[in-house]
Amino acid sequence: MSIGKEQILHVARLAELAVADADVPTLVEQMNRIVEFVAQLDEVPAGEEAPPFVAGPAELALRPDEPGPVPLSHPIKAFAPEFRDGLFLVPRLGSMEDA
Amino acid sequence: MSAIQHITSAMHEGRSTPQATATETARRLTEAAPLNAVLHWSPELLAAEARRVEAVSPAERFRLPLAGVPIGVKDNIVTTEQPTTCASRILEGYISPYDATAVKRLRAAGAMIAAKTNLDEFAMGSSTEHSAFGRVLLPLDHSRVPGGSSGGSAALVAAGVVPAALGSETGGSVRQPASFCGIVGVKPTYGRVSRFGLVAFGSSLDCISVFGQTVDDAGRVLAAISGHDPLDATTANLPPIVLERPRGHLRGLTFGLPTEYLPADLHPGVRAGVDRAVAAVKELGGTVKSVSLPHSKYAVPTYYIVAPAEAAANLARFDGVRYGPRKIGPAGDLRALYQATRGQGFGAEVRRRILVGTYVLSSGYYDAYYRKAQQVRALLADDFRRAFAEQGVDALLTPTTPTPSFKAGEKTADPVSMYLADIFVCSANLAGLPALSIPVGRSEGLPIGVQLMGPAWSEAALLSMAAALEATVSATSEVR
Repeated sequence: MSIGKEQILHVARLAELAVADADVPTLVEQMNRIVEFVAQLDEVPAGEEAPPFVAGPAELALRPDEPGPVPLSHPIKAFAPEFRDGLFLVPRLGSMEDA
Repeated sequence: MSAIQHITSAMHEGRSTPQATATETARRLTEAAPLNAVLHWSPELLAAEARRVEAVSPAERFRLPLAGVPIGVKDNIVTTEQPTTCASRILEGYISPYDATAVKRLRAAGAMIAAKTNLDEFAMGSSTEHSAFGRVLLPLDHSRVPGGSSGGSAALVAAGVVPAALGSETGGSVRQPASFCGIVGVKPTYGRVSRFGLVAFGSSLDCISVFGQTVDDAGRVLAAISGHDPLDATTANLPPIVLERPRGHLRGLTFGLPTEYLPADLHPGVRAGVDRAVAAVKELGGTVKSVSLPHSKYAVPTYYIVAPAEAAANLARFDGVRYGPRKIGPAGDLRALYQATRGQGFGAEVRRRILVGTYVLSSGYYDAYYRKAQQVRALLADDFRRAFAEQGVDALLTPTTPTPSFKAGEKTADPVSMYLADIFVCSANLAGLPALSIPVGRSEGLPIGVQLMGPAWSEAALLSMAAALEATVSATSEVR
């Protein structure tokens, strides 16, 4: 399957990436080369019967789904200039509009 | 005696001090500046590291495995005292509010963080030519590359500036440069070392890994940073690695030689390196047998679907709002800000991989590429399981790289040719297995490495086998 200029620009929009016009021809060529290279996986007869892949060894079982505090490197109030009663204090919206 | 043993014994015997080691490291860092291996360091920070170690009582210091040992840290591992840029303009000047768990553990073991090292931008590359801050030079031949993406850490260890350094692996980024530079590189089992504070590239593949001048140096550092971390839910609930005593033989052990890793067109120097390692295994009493890992040829294409897909998701956070410098796009709105910041902030290789990753995950292509790659990844992992469980192999012995170090600029125009430099190393990342590279000689003056791969959690056994080979094989003589 070949990738053209329009497809590159579409993918770049999805990726929120500005692409200069001058770079498009090289990107078209290189993306086609990469996609052609990875397409050799089509040769592998891995259908629905293929085992699902799970990253890492079996010992990495999921932990129990129990909510708890998130261990942070710094106390939460250190992340904002002002913190009171469990809340970050921010400027009033009105005062931001005035600024 | 390893480089770390030299430093710690000199300190414990009163022949040196952490401050003296810091001063000497600063001198070597200055001398090694032409390699461009370092992005951030200062004599003041090094001196402060030494003062921290000297504040520990001598009795307590004696119990610290890395007391007063200077260590390099790849610049995609966060530290609070130096910037962390991932060698990218998009993170220029960024300073993390916290330290990576691996860095905290190094300090808890008495180590001194010597420098933040250069890398391929966001760890994407195999030559350390894709850094926004210039390429890293191979210490033995400045016209060549040190491998990548952890080329700065590798060059620093190979140049003798530090005895060991942290790198990171997503598809072989420590073992491949270790091979090019003639040093030891160890990638642990996925889940052995915390990824907390490692800037994410491919989350199901990433592993903080270690370079050492010798197997002992790498093993000591790996043991110090290993173990469960509540800040990384993907670390296994296992205790840290306990190193085995060096063994003088390999009797009772079977090494598998995968036929797929020894193609007819393999570089003759690399082939000779493998032959030398095989002869050493036999001399040490080990058995070598031929095995097959039939899906090996699909490792690189699988990797170049899975890794860019994960990278496209992970790097979405670098948008000009939360980190680093911000560019205002022509339309002046938020979307233009994202696109301009990312378009100008990321280098060519990172942009290319984000585009590939976005493409393979996009509507209509997901099944053909990403889902297929995950299926092949399961088959690749199953090849290894069979070799270890059904064919009675204790470790696989392969070349680390298909060629020795190549010339700078040789592969930059053709991304696929660069990707193939990782053909023998990326399978271990896809399968989550531990693997290491040790030097076994030189071909026309350039280092050649061989790789040992083992079943999950076999790091201590692999290190012990590697130490036996290291003691038998000459790492610096020409292979024939």
